Amino acid sequence: MELSRRRLLQGIAGAGAAGAGLALAGCAPSAAAAPTDVVDFHGPHQAGIATAVQDRLAFMTFDVTSTSRADVVELLKSWTTAAEAMTRGAAVPGAPPDDQVPPADTGEAVGLPAARLTVTVGFGPSLFTGPDGSDRFGLAARRPAAFVPLPALPGELLDPARSGGDIAVQACSDDPQVAFHAVRNLARIGRGTVVARWAELGFGKTSSTQGSADGDPGGTPRNLMGFKDGTRNIVGTDDAALDQHVWVADADGQGWLGGGSYLVARRIRMFVEPWDRDRLGDQEAVFGRFKDSGAPLTGKAEFDAPDYAATGADGPVIPANAHIRLASPENNGGLRILRRGYSYTDGIDATTGTLDAGLFFLAYMRDPNQFVTLQRKLGTSDALNEYIRHVGSGLFAVPPGTSGPDDWWGRALFS
Amino acid sequence: MTPTRSRAACAAAAVLSAGLLAAACASSPQPSAGGPPATNVSIEISDAGCGPNPATVPTGPVNFAVTNPASDKVTEAEVLGGGKILGEKENITPGLDGAFSLRLDPGTYSVYCPGAAKDTWAFTVQGNGSAAADTSLTAATQAYHDYVVTEVGQLQTAAKTFTDAVRAGDISAAEQAYAPARVHYESIEPVAESFGDLDPAIDARIDDVTDPTQWTGFHRIEKALWADHSLAGMAPVADKLDADIATLKAKVATNTYQPAELANGASDLLTEVSTSKVTGEEDRYSHTDLWDFAANIDGARKAFELLQPALAATDPDLAQQLEARFTDVVNGLAKYRSGNGYEDYGAVTDTDRRSLADSVNALAEPLSQVAGKVV
Repeated sequence: MELSRRRLLQGIAGAGAAGAGLALAGCAPSAAAAPTDVVDFHGPHQAGIATAVQDRLAFMTFDVTSTSRADVVELLKSWTTAAEAMTRGAAVPGAPPDDQVPPADTGEAVGLPAARLTVTVGFGPSLFTGPDGSDRFGLAARRPAAFVPLPALPGELLDPARSGGDIAVQACSDDPQVAFHAVRNLARIGRGTVVARWAELGFGKTSSTQGSADGDPGGTPRNLMGFKDGTRNIVGTDDAALDQHVWVADADGQGWLGGGSYLVARRIRMFVEPWDRDRLGDQEAVFGRFKDSGAPLTGKAEFDAPDYAATGADGPVIPANAHIRLASPENNGGLRILRRGYSYTDGIDATTGTLDAGLFFLAYMRDPNQFVTLQRKLGTSDALNEYIRHVGSGLFAVPPGTSGPDDWWGRALFS
Repeated sequence: MTPTRSRAACAAAAVLSAGLLAAACASSPQPSAGGPPATNVSIEISDAGCGPNPATVPTGPVNFAVTNPASDKVTEAEVLGGGKILGEKENITPGLDGAFSLRLDPGTYSVYCPGAAKDTWAFTVQGNGSAAADTSLTAATQAYHDYVVTEVGQLQTAAKTFTDAVRAGDISAAEQAYAPARVHYESIEPVAESFGDLDPAIDARIDDVTDPTQWTGFHRIEKALWADHSLAGMAPVADKLDADIATLKAKVATNTYQPAELANGASDLLTEVSTSKVTGEEDRYSHTDLWDFAANIDGARKAFELLQPALAATDPDLAQQLEARFTDVVNGLAKYRSGNGYEDYGAVTDTDRRSLADSVNALAEPLSQVAGKVV
């Protein structure tokens, strides 16, 4: 039996199985909200990458504790089914309520809308090859050549307890509880096969994939430094740019990953207290943008193209070590990545009494080397390095989307 | 102890259905329905031996009554099968008696009484089929009753060794006897809710009691031994522990259990092991936590094994998954075996504790589904 959360809210639970995904769009009481409220689960690419960025994030990585390939397959099938239901705003499928057993769905999203939930799954290098070099699940031969753990990079001091993982789940939604509910329920379903390794909640989006034309109101959302960063992000409807920079092509190597992508997750701690004491002119020089408008120092409006050649009395208007200059495609052979990060905070750093807060950087790309190239440059020279440190890291191969109800995440990899 | 569970389950009973009420708080005696009737066997121990009477019985539950009219030399009797002690009665000095119950498959067993002229006596169970293969839930709950009765009998004996050492002021002997005595309480913790106030009296931790001066039981003496290094004032606590266990023994003789109570009790207990006991909070002074974990797992597994035939009939996949995960947990604990017991929990690293918690969690999750299948 499947229960729509909305139907529960309306007090007509049990009035019949809302088995078809059409229920919300076709005849649910809240049909008017449905078209923008539900993101399609199935498609050539997983949702949650090119999708317009939602307000909130719940991210969790898992380690597989089972040694059985069949267990992993079963897990991915169960997860796909549950995620597809939750994406529609339905409860996790399971047996009808029974006083004697815990409910199949944990319940905290009952009454909440679908809220544009997307659930996106990726596989870590450690799923393919164990730390001892073992072929854990018979997947070693299917690991793409480009897919190796990220090398040590400048600007990082990584906490192993907030890095890595065999499988990653990114849940994004406009409602924080809907996003949390999704990862919590997948963790529960996976118990016995996987254990949670680390998790991060993102309370505010810092990226837009909608560009300047029909973009988010107010343009690019601001990060915790108060700046608009990532203004020239890849737009989710720009298929040419996505094919060139984000989606892995069948011909790139391993066919199972065709239509997929690579996800780089970085927990980037910001030292916000020192930043807040930095004078405005220096803050703007560090980024290469005006704080208020978000415009490049050579422009007037946020989406004006930066002019890296422009010089003033003291040299380049956008300084040589400004963040946007070092990260720009113009100065990296045309390299671009799709950014989807969120602001996070985990309370107070017990040692220093400062805020443990920053950017949970999420970026999708066709080849992990795109990030490595950028970070080698940024980690060495970026003026921002005085105020940030990369403290957590993960790299994941994100399989393509599912074609329909019989498909499941990673089917091509395991078949 | 299981303070929050016992309070919550019974306090909430008013708003629960009658079926749940029975599951949560059953304690009144009920005649067992169905299944073969129990056979009574008497074993009189003497310098000469311990012949059972009758020496041949039909398949099913057997109540053994052990008496010792006059022998100083022979003070215990054990029923052995397949190289294992299935049930025993120790410290039966002249004039004392004792009892235990077993559910025995057809086969050949022996009664053993060390020290006697003839110390091994044959005992035969006749019949067809298997006592354990009885899929009726009545048989399962009756067998669990028998198990609890046996464990509490052993608890009484082992605790007496402990409390005698406490009363004698022998810190070393008391420390040695502490964990082996607790094992027989931790093994029946899945149904500790049915013990009422005896559970906190026997097993409360310092943070479970509102008035520390009224704190009693194992953990009070544990603190005296390992934290205070003094048994001053502990003799009355030892006396009360013996008295509480005697009361518990009388109580469990008549307690009956519901199938869901066994399943939920086992599931709740494992959840407690994986989320709080794993931090080392239970035996925080003695660090004998691994003994308790092993006993908790044994008791939960006993409950599962008894429900297993009924479960296998309704959900064989779940039954098989639980078998495998119990095995994982038992194997995980076996790494820490040392002598007759377990390593000091203080020496178990955080990483290894996490690994234990993970395996117990993996077991407790499907175990939470069992109650729905066996009622």
